[in-house]
Amino acid sequence: MILFSAPTCDKCNYIKKNFNLKELGIRIEELTEENAEGLALLAWHGLVKRAEEGLPILVVEKEKLVIRGYENIAKYLERKVRLKN
Amino acid sequence: MGEVLELKPMKLFDTKDTTDLAVFVRTSDEELVTWNRQKIVEALIRETFLDRGTAEIISEEVEKIILKSGISVLTSPLIRELVDAKLIEKGLEKARKMHTRLGMPLYDVEQLIVYPNKENANVPHGPEATNLTLAENIKKEYALLNVFSQDVSDAHMKGDIHLHDLGFIDRPYCSGQSLEYIKKFGLSLPNSLAIAKPAKHPEVLLAHMVKFAAALQSNFAGAIGWDAVNLFFAPYLEGLSKKDLKQLAQMLIFEFSQQAVARGGQAIFSDINLYWEVPKHFEDVPAIGPGGEYTGKTYGEYAKTAQEFVKALFEVYMEGDGCGRPFFFPKPLVHITEKFWNEDGSEEFLELICDVACEKGNTYFVFDRGNTAKISECCRLSFKLEKSDFEDAKQPWKMRYSAIQNVTINLPRIAYEAKGDDTKLFNLLTERIELAVKAHIQKRMFLEKLLSQGERGPLALLTMNKDGQPYLRMHRVSYLIGMVGLNELVQYHLGQEMHESDFAIKFGLKVIAHMKLLCDRFSKIHNMHFVLEQTPAESTAYRFARLDLKHFSEKAGRTVKGDISRGEIYYTNSTYLNVSHPINPIDRIRIEGLFHPLIEAGSLTHIWLGEKRPDTKSLANFIKKIFHNTENDQVAFSPEFTTCLDCKKTMRGLLDSCSYCGSERIEGMTRITGYFTRISSWNKGKLGELRDRFRSKDYF
Ligand SMILES: [Zn+2]
Repeated sequence: MILFSAPTCDKCNYIKKNFNLKELGIRIEELTEENAEGLALLAWHGLVKRAEEGLPILVVEKEKLVIRGYENIAKYLERKVRLKN
Repeated sequence: MGEVLELKPMKLFDTKDTTDLAVFVRTSDEELVTWNRQKIVEALIRETFLDRGTAEIISEEVEKIILKSGISVLTSPLIRELVDAKLIEKGLEKARKMHTRLGMPLYDVEQLIVYPNKENANVPHGPEATNLTLAENIKKEYALLNVFSQDVSDAHMKGDIHLHDLGFIDRPYCSGQSLEYIKKFGLSLPNSLAIAKPAKHPEVLLAHMVKFAAALQSNFAGAIGWDAVNLFFAPYLEGLSKKDLKQLAQMLIFEFSQQAVARGGQAIFSDINLYWEVPKHFEDVPAIGPGGEYTGKTYGEYAKTAQEFVKALFEVYMEGDGCGRPFFFPKPLVHITEKFWNEDGSEEFLELICDVACEKGNTYFVFDRGNTAKISECCRLSFKLEKSDFEDAKQPWKMRYSAIQNVTINLPRIAYEAKGDDTKLFNLLTERIELAVKAHIQKRMFLEKLLSQGERGPLALLTMNKDGQPYLRMHRVSYLIGMVGLNELVQYHLGQEMHESDFAIKFGLKVIAHMKLLCDRFSKIHNMHFVLEQTPAESTAYRFARLDLKHFSEKAGRTVKGDISRGEIYYTNSTYLNVSHPINPIDRIRIEGLFHPLIEAGSLTHIWLGEKRPDTKSLANFIKKIFHNTENDQVAFSPEFTTCLDCKKTMRGLLDSCSYCGSERIEGMTRITGYFTRISSWNKGKLGELRDRFRSKDYF
């Protein structure tokens, strides 16, 4: 799973603070001026315009899922945490 | 003009210090004067800042050579060559450069005058056109010597980068504008004798539009685009019968397509941007009508009339010219916004423009998804409207945008130089972009110097100030950085072309993402707007391939596309997939579309149709799918045609002879890159590409 986020994005920080992303197997891609790989990955998933409209975005490659909006992402991750425990 | 083109003729003719040499000099002022050594001295001091002593010594040495030669008639170019040779001998390299003479060898001039130009298919071959090319050649040399620094010029000469339109060094690249400007201010151009008030009738507005376009063409190197043409015409069209509307549509298209008198006999490279729906940003804008007066209505209220007009335009495109051939210009770009799909009649209109796309190929489908409105300028240059633009949209005459210059990076060469090392590859890419940025800064400085002369300067038209800002709004311009041969970079670096694996596409995306982020960072540093563009590269894809084959023979030999034995070689344009790869069009559109959001100045996917005519309804469905399921910005479909020069009939496909009368005097035509043109005018690289193009036959 990949979480596309930005350093100054509060909603992204909410997700990062409230979940142990590493444990959930989520890789964080911070979209900064220096991160060409992150931007390329975002483009590969066809999400550049979506990301301009708002972050964070969670991509679940196995399930072919793109989850937008921090509330939706939080819900999805809560379920994952429950399943794990 | 005379037999030579001397930029700074030696005007002084000082008789005080003449030697009694019985030698005559043919000057570039078309005079025959007697030899005067002092003129060399004066020129050296004036042009190169050499000290008088050195200048005297050089002039004496040159005089000796002339004396010894026994020559009786000299030309000033020859004298200059002799002086330059002396300057080199003395190690005065800088002075030699400053003293350089710009011009062309006799042989080249003859070739040019007698044989056609294959560099740019939009330039016909004729006296006016060769005048243009001669002038361009001198300006090109001037630019490389005097506008750009040595490292930038060298990089261009070597083919690391390509500085486009060097022959038009004293103009910006392209321009997009609004009809509102001439509707509001009429037509009063600097240096023109008569001033016209705002048009009262649609035919007059059209005449103003065409004249203004011609005036702009002589101030810009590239495309002249018009925003929302059907909408801005609408207030002039209310109450017109269908027949009159069609007549006006016909006039508009014929005027632009036959405007072959302006620059070197070229047609004006013109785009008209069209909408079915009234785009959101114009809905509530007060409409300007006859006489430049507000009509009291908003543009939202002119939707119906605008729709009738755009339908009429496409009916004309459908018919084609007198021989049924597609119109080459103006190119119709239909913008499809989110609103489109819910608009009354949009399905029927979509079928009409698809019909034209299938039959003649004219339609460009531009997808303005979400809330990013765009206006398109040339081949594939469009600008996203930013916040400040939406402010401008309330006064649409302010909406004029320009790109100052385009610099293209030779991507495959970077791969050859990096020898498989990622770090080196991205480092080199950064260096090339830095060079491009440097080139842009130098061009900007040069243009600013010309613009600073205001109404008396060479760019008077661009400084005219009717709404509190000069016509060319330098604070809103863009600087383009293009790319050629991403596919070949990836191919050489990874051993796979982009269509061969996801890994290869991902790597391609990384290269473009790197370029895009650098543009963003340099924009901040220099307070200039650098954006990526998919260079149309009619000649650059050929030039880079040729230069690489020469300087990186073994590597390029394995990578360039086309037919090396025929010399028909090219690199794949910009971020495209290999044109010969047989791929379902929707996959091509989807995959190429992944790159589009990173390329801010607009991108396009070509689908080559060949002789196959797709079904209109399937194409309409296809367009719907592209809009909703891909990130692709713009798509065009290109059929091929053959016109018989004897019976004047036009047939589908590229044929060897006329299927009506059997004549072999035929002419093929299709889209070269951004526009339709005759194949006979294509350069070898493009001909190679044409042979390779995969024509989608069975997918629609
Ligand atoms: Zn015929």
